[in-house]
Amino acid sequence: MSGEALRSVNLRKVYTSRGAPRVEALAGVSMEVRPGERVALLGRNGAGKTTFLKIASTLLRPTSGSIEVFGVDVDATPERARPYIAVVPQEGKPFFHLSPREQVYTYLRARGLSRETAKARTEEAIERMGLREVADRLSITLSGGQRQRTMVATVIATEAPLLFLDEPTIGMDPFARRDVWASLRALTQKGSTILLTTHYLDEADALSHRLYIVERGQVLVSGTAEDLKRSVGGTLKVSMPNGALQIDAFRSFGSCVADGSHLSVIVAPERLAELMDLAIRRHLTATVGPVTLEEAFLRVVGRSIDEDT
Amino acid sequence: MRTPSVPTGARSFQGLAAFFWTEALVQLHEELAMATSMVVQVVLLVFVWILNPALIGVALIGSVVFSAFALGQRVLNEAAYVRIDHKATDLYLAGPLSPEGYFLGMAGGILLIYITPVAILGALAVVVAHLSLATGLLLLGLSGLVWMFAASIGYVFSTFFRDNRAIWAYSSLFFNVFGVLPPVFYPLGLFPQALHPIVLLMPPSAAAAILQSAIGVTHLAPGEFSLALLGLVTETVCVLALAIYWARRTVRSK
Repeated sequence: MSGEALRSVNLRKVYTSRGAPRVEALAGVSMEVRPGERVALLGRNGAGKTTFLKIASTLLRPTSGSIEVFGVDVDATPERARPYIAVVPQEGKPFFHLSPREQVYTYLRARGLSRETAKARTEEAIERMGLREVADRLSITLSGGQRQRTMVATVIATEAPLLFLDEPTIGMDPFARRDVWASLRALTQKGSTILLTTHYLDEADALSHRLYIVERGQVLVSGTAEDLKRSVGGTLKVSMPNGALQIDAFRSFGSCVADGSHLSVIVAPERLAELMDLAIRRHLTATVGPVTLEEAFLRVVGRSIDEDT
Repeated sequence: MRTPSVPTGARSFQGLAAFFWTEALVQLHEELAMATSMVVQVVLLVFVWILNPALIGVALIGSVVFSAFALGQRVLNEAAYVRIDHKATDLYLAGPLSPEGYFLGMAGGILLIYITPVAILGALAVVVAHLSLATGLLLLGLSGLVWMFAASIGYVFSTFFRDNRAIWAYSSLFFNVFGVLPPVFYPLGLFPQALHPIVLLMPPSAAAAILQSAIGVTHLAPGEFSLALLGLVTETVCVLALAIYWARRTVRSK
């Protein structure tokens, strides 16, 4: 058996359909996720994240390359890989005519768990996801965030060895997101492995042991969030709301990005005073903060995560 | 760290019973759909009763067959709705639940919840049309085949759509072409003779014709009887096999 929970080698997916242009969604993705890790897959809309998750979760066939889950070839023997995995699909919704308690319990039963285990895990997941007060209300009466929490509760209750979560906290309020993070951390402490996609870079920063940034179907960079932040050339970011037109004056300090009229400069701490002095002389307002994952993403990909490909 | 044991893989039909109860629970909460499930049958029965009360026994038998078809056809709408609107098919099928267990569990769960009013129609048919035990069992068996045919073809068709609104049009078309227009609620003899081979190959009207023949309302030549019975059995078995194959195949897109 392979040592990795997930391993893909040069995975490619090309969509072809009559009358539509050929789309290469994955252009050779190689990736490894070790047991017990939480790994985030980051990328803009259309970068290939969901395609990768769909292939990994046995729902889509790759064009070429290989992918294994706990040593099981996902493409050749998907039925052998499925017992290992559980998936929160992107934009998935629970059955509207089931309550969260019924949704989680019946799902666990459909996966073959005993009544006792399913009942205990259901109650635990309902509690963890803050659904106690609405546990017996039909999902059709719940808010979008509560439905999403129900979906996450359904999947985390499986305690499957490998969980795929495609935008698991979308539509949730900050408190609910933190409940999800805590649940995912607890799951990995129990031994599960998690691969998630997210548009929230703070979520990837707070939650993942490692992350992969994909763009146009390729992995651009991988590593820890800290590695990535360090790679941008400094630990501080100076933001100047009206500095874009004066970008050339700041290039010597470090990496500069102009976004509309806004200019941001990554700078090493020892040159901060010099940069601030220049900003003041040029009548620019400047604020200083730590480099964030968002900044690192912007420099690696060249665009914000919120822009479509 | 957890080291999963060597996987055995999902077994055939795994999870069927559990998903059967899941779907039954879903349907149980849809009171409005349950309340309106018999509207068409009752309306057609009223029409027949007004136009020719002597045919009410035939119409009641037809209403049971028609209900079996309509119940099976609910799988088309439900499977498409869960896949397209809820995107929940991925949740269920990317796991140990077998695809055929998902399809058959869904069909069975719907059947369980909607069967009571159909059973009442069946009881009325037994009383009004004076059905013998053998004919009653024949009604049960043929209705079961019609249900299985409709559920299977419904599941297969559900996989072709990307928009639920397109399904409504096809669903209505199947409903009327297979159930309302052909001689299901009225005797085969009232339908143009030249078109008999066609309606005898359509499961609901084939089942109705066999039952009408059993109670002496319709005379079927030996060739027609064989066509209806063999056609119904063969079509049902083939479509069921296709649906199971298709369920397994369409878990994964290409």
